Amino acid sequence: MAISTAKPNRSGLRPATIALPVLLFVALSFLSPAFLSVQNLSNINGQIAALLIVSLGQLVVALIGGIDLSVGATLSLTTTIIVSVSPDLAVVAALLAGVAVGLVNGIGVTIAGVHPLIMTMASMTFLQGLALLIHPVPGGTVPDYLGDLASTSAAGVPAAFFWCVGAVMIASFLLSTTRFGLRLFAIGANQASAARNGIAVKWYSIGCYVICSVTATVAGIFISARVSSGDATVGAPFALDSVTAISMGGVQLAGGTGSVTGVVLGTIALGLLTNGMNLVGISPFLRTAATGMLLLLAISMQRRNVIGV
Amino acid sequence: MITPMAHCSPGSALVAFRSVNKSFGSTQALVDLSLEGLASSVHAITGENGAGKSTLMNLLAGVHQPDSGEIRVRGQPVRIESPAQAQRAGISTIFQELTLLPNLTVAENLFLGREPHRAGIINRSLMRRRAEEALDLVKCRVDVNTYCQTLSVAAQQLIEIAKGLMADADVFILDEPTAALNGPEVDTLGELIHSLRTAGKLVFYISHRLEEIFRFSDTVSVLKDGRLVGTSAASELTQDELISLMVGRPLGQLYPPRNPSRNQLRCALEISDLSPSDAGRAVSFTIGRGEILGFAGLQGQGQREIIRAVAGVGPHVGGRITKRGPDDTVRTVGRSIVAVARSGIGFIPEDRKSEGLYLSLSIEHNVALGMLRELSVWRRARVRKAGIDELLARMRVRSNDQAQPVSSLSGGNQQKVMLGRWLASGVDVLLVEEPTRGVDVGAKSEIYTLLRGFANSGGAVLIASSELTEILGLCDRILVVRAGEITAELDGVAASEREIMRYALAGTMAEARKEL
Repeated sequence: MAISTAKPNRSGLRPATIALPVLLFVALSFLSPAFLSVQNLSNINGQIAALLIVSLGQLVVALIGGIDLSVGATLSLTTTIIVSVSPDLAVVAALLAGVAVGLVNGIGVTIAGVHPLIMTMASMTFLQGLALLIHPVPGGTVPDYLGDLASTSAAGVPAAFFWCVGAVMIASFLLSTTRFGLRLFAIGANQASAARNGIAVKWYSIGCYVICSVTATVAGIFISARVSSGDATVGAPFALDSVTAISMGGVQLAGGTGSVTGVVLGTIALGLLTNGMNLVGISPFLRTAATGMLLLLAISMQRRNVIGV
Repeated sequence: MITPMAHCSPGSALVAFRSVNKSFGSTQALVDLSLEGLASSVHAITGENGAGKSTLMNLLAGVHQPDSGEIRVRGQPVRIESPAQAQRAGISTIFQELTLLPNLTVAENLFLGREPHRAGIINRSLMRRRAEEALDLVKCRVDVNTYCQTLSVAAQQLIEIAKGLMADADVFILDEPTAALNGPEVDTLGELIHSLRTAGKLVFYISHRLEEIFRFSDTVSVLKDGRLVGTSAASELTQDELISLMVGRPLGQLYPPRNPSRNQLRCALEISDLSPSDAGRAVSFTIGRGEILGFAGLQGQGQREIIRAVAGVGPHVGGRITKRGPDDTVRTVGRSIVAVARSGIGFIPEDRKSEGLYLSLSIEHNVALGMLRELSVWRRARVRKAGIDELLARMRVRSNDQAQPVSSLSGGNQQKVMLGRWLASGVDVLLVEEPTRGVDVGAKSEIYTLLRGFANSGGAVLIASSELTEILGLCDRILVVRAGEITAELDGVAASEREIMRYALAGTMAEARKEL
């Protein structure tokens, strides 16, 4: 994907978007000798894989000017379903739940006209409660075939890397080659004009929320495979983290601007920051505080018409 | 000279409107209108602002549906529920406002909604090639990979035209397509329209630019107040005849008598070199005490921007506004809406529902907010109820109870409450946009009387209205605005609708004189 900052385009990529992860990488390799070890790099990859998958889903919703705060709770719910349902049906059940969540969110926003923040905050709270009800204490057994998918490595490359590549390829294909992708940009820029060109805006919007929930479910399947247990609160940080990651990648929450490349860069930057703080010995609580500030900073630096969403 | 459409033989029409009616709220936009468009012809639809031209075409384009009556395409009655359905019925519309998406390239915009594809994957090279062909047609030289947000308005308009013409359609609607185009570009459009006619298509050309109507069209239909005034062959009409069809109706006794002693007016507000935007031209004018000044002109010529800049609501890049108090003290008016209100200038916006009134508050609270304007935030809000009663009675606001919410009132009464708020607040200059939009005739007359009374007691009023009759009946002095410039200053008593239209259409005074 060509990166051009001279002419305005819809990728939202700017020098800072690209520079941040590169600078962090260079700085960390000087600050911490452990950073460049194969062990640590593969660790970072494992840490950011789930966030990347969730953020790509968040990107799809953000392109039409929406937001989905229920991704974290959907992820948590998925891990509890994986350890609670019979191994043969676990994955199918989790995916069906993801589709259902997306449909409810999408219908609530587009047909009932609830503001996306409120709609997805409500479903976030509902799903969090549901996850705790299903599986109050972390633990349980994950089907064997899942464990292999997340922890093996092929030719020295860890499985997490393949999950990332797969997600990025699917998202790029969808957004830059298909009619569906192009129309998302059109809807995000101006719903009324898009409708006047014969685009069924409501169906596309519902589709976006379903895609977003399904990616959160996929990330949930990955996480349960990786940690080999179900945990009803494991997804909690993902809602804000995914919004922060896409904002750092130049995606505009007002809709119509964003790119897969940007989301990858934003996610890497956020992942490096977390990892770096760990290595240097900074309290993880400070990392949470930093995420809040990063979100505000990323949003403030964007060129846009409205502040916030 | 004027042939009623009923004389046309029915079978030959490609599009026929049969007794269509359409109203928006209490406004009748189209009244029992019948019109036919023939294949291989260019049919111009013209008339004043609000005559119903765009409404009529929006019925055909699927944006609105008629309340009653029928639309026939190729002899078959059709019901067009959406723009997509209109496209399928072979009707292609080039809308007045630009609909290109800024974050899509030229090629993507041209094909949005009907992208060439295989299994959902866009065939980009085919799309680019066909986009280039389409741009060649309108002689627009831009790279099809450019994002539309970087293009000039003229280029965007050409692309809209290319997009409309590309469609596989038999009926083409061009709604004011030349607003942003220069001479050679209009020539190109003329050639394209001609080739459509040669190919057997029907083109509806909506415009109030007389020279284009005569140049491009075979048939002209004139609408007024939602009714068809007449249809005629363009070759049988002169410009003068067309203008007199568009205007000229009795004013009636709707308006209060004007201020007789206008000669010794003292200035209330002086606007010098005000420019609403960097691109726009600067305007200067004054409003006198006891006077009602009106802005006339075609829609979207900059009247709204000027009045909003004075009111401190719209942008304002340069110029100075000074106000003389009743005691002749001179002060400069600030640029914000708060500063404007503090210096005793009230603004009544055209959209009273979203910008003017607090719909969920009661009538008395809406008026009381005006009375409390001068008080400090910390003072206890106490309102003299008798004052409100007296004011509402004087304005003849019809309501059962002053505690009822403003949203329950009719349009006319809402407008009066908004006016009452400013009257109660003791301002001495009023800026009014569309004083009687969506207001019935009885309330109209009362609003005119209130405004006149305000002027007679030493107030100054500036009105921007798209209703020419209202301007003519109410105003003491009229400024005609065209393309952001004041092109003429006319005396309200002496001016005629015809004269205003001349200046509004033709532009500069010199040009208009030449034509007169």
